[in-house]
Amino acid sequence: MNISLESLRPCLDGAVPAVVATASPDGTPNVAYASQAHYVDSEHVALSFQFFSKTRENVLAHPYAQVQVIEPKSFRHFRLKVHYLRTETSGPLFEYMKAQLAGIAERTGMAKVFALRGADIYRVLDIENVDPRLLPAPAPPDALLKLRRTFVHLGACDDLARLADRALTALAHGFGIRHALLAMLDEVGGTLYTLASLGYSASGVGAEVALGEGLIGVAARENIPVRINYHTGDYTYHAALYVADPASPRIPLPVLANPHSQIAVPLAHGERLVGVLYAESEQNAFFSHADEDALVVYGRHLGALIAQLAALPDDAEPARAAPSPKPSGAPLAVRYFTHDHSVFIDNDYLIKGVAGSILWTLLNEHAASGRRDFCNRELRRDPRLSLPDFGDNLETRLILLQRRLAERCPQIALAKTGRGRFRLELARPLLLNAA
Amino acid sequence: MSVLLTPDQTAFLQGTLSMNVGAVGRDGWPCVCRAQGLVVARDRRSLTVLLSASRGRAVLEALDVGSAITLVASRPATHATLQLKAASAARVGVSAAHRVASARCVAAFGAELERLGYAAGLSATLAGVLPTDDLVALRFAPDIVFDQTPGPDAGRVLARA
Repeated sequence: MNISLESLRPCLDGAVPAVVATASPDGTPNVAYASQAHYVDSEHVALSFQFFSKTRENVLAHPYAQVQVIEPKSFRHFRLKVHYLRTETSGPLFEYMKAQLAGIAERTGMAKVFALRGADIYRVLDIENVDPRLLPAPAPPDALLKLRRTFVHLGACDDLARLADRALTALAHGFGIRHALLAMLDEVGGTLYTLASLGYSASGVGAEVALGEGLIGVAARENIPVRINYHTGDYTYHAALYVADPASPRIPLPVLANPHSQIAVPLAHGERLVGVLYAESEQNAFFSHADEDALVVYGRHLGALIAQLAALPDDAEPARAAPSPKPSGAPLAVRYFTHDHSVFIDNDYLIKGVAGSILWTLLNEHAASGRRDFCNRELRRDPRLSLPDFGDNLETRLILLQRRLAERCPQIALAKTGRGRFRLELARPLLLNAA
Repeated sequence: MSVLLTPDQTAFLQGTLSMNVGAVGRDGWPCVCRAQGLVVARDRRSLTVLLSASRGRAVLEALDVGSAITLVASRPATHATLQLKAASAARVGVSAAHRVASARCVAAFGAELERLGYAAGLSATLAGVLPTDDLVALRFAPDIVFDQTPGPDAGRVLARA
């Protein structure tokens, strides 16, 4: 092929419907619209299979078709000779197309009509530029340059908490992203929890998303990037509506109510999923194919950095710190519920799960022995905490706990006193009560 | 005898539309080309569809050697879509009225897309993509008309000769 399929990716992004010509066995032509023509790889495209149609009947009997796609800004037409191979009804490609179709359906006023039954995979045999005399659309901003700027702003980080924040602010500098969050995978609970966010009125730190639910959950479950270019009314993809357990106390995800573009990319280290980077915008089609590529690279880089920082050994001794003042004033009532490890302070929900369990253990240890200095290593070995065997999980849980305390109960603080070391600081006395 | 198009179908076909013509080549490959104008005959039994000779070479070659023709016409704002098929189509001379119809069709299509939020200035872009300087006119009398509006009823036969 003289024209690469990669160069046609702007045509394969759902902006303009594709047209599919097929032939029945008796040679009768059929032409139909396909809401979604999706770039799969350098040799394959996938068309959305939404209805049992003449197109489908034809390609099953005679698997040769021509697909006409349009470059959105120039309106140049391209025709692809394609050979139908198979239909996928589950898995990463199907999930990606299903999410993207939700945006396309809303944009085209077909939200109640469009539903993806399958992703029809075609091999592309030839590409024809129908309008060779026309100039191509102006090139979009260079995603590689955006990524490079993002890395410059990210800089060198030797601390996970700082990395989480800088990872998001760097995106603002590099990609102009104004709203984003980092959700970390809880390997035990099958959920993701928000560790840091950018550009929301509430931080949402500690907010959870169930694996497989919403755009963030789908990206995590399938370990794939997922991008929706338009506002969708399909609640399946509304990140804010999905929580791990609706019956449990919850921290709302801080996301936009009506995003017009959304992207979720895995934070991965090797084969292991660490979390998900989610970003969104009020603008349609804010993220391009190339942005998705760049953010996938960024997600891999962040995943590796998180794993690298978590693997560093704890400091042998805590740093010297000024003595903290004695707790004073009315005691805070700290209530702990063992069934979900949730902690309430003066009846206000603070945290649950592993982070709740850690806090309860620290407060009890302090109450029993007066200790205030702790290290990560002892927490990993503490039988009262059923921690998973991943160092970064503990570290990110502690950051989550520090941040929730700082937001909701600054009278209790966990101050860092070295790598893998921290000090419990109490401004008020506590009344501990387990239920 | 061909299908008699209803007044509503005729009005729809002469409205603001995105249109594509399909055929099947001798080698069995289906092919498609964007059409850029349509005129329904007064007796409502045939219609003339306009396309660019250079952009529609494969479709025209297929039709010249006897391929059946299909026309899909869709209103972008509502997605209402008709598909009309006939066993053959014949080239006819391009008249001044055809050129006017084509220019009007392309302008209306561009204006509709702009109203729907596609890029501003699309009308001018489309006039460049779909000029009227190498038009070919194809006349055919539909044997069958389908409702092709997206949804579970797409493909329903509305009229058959």
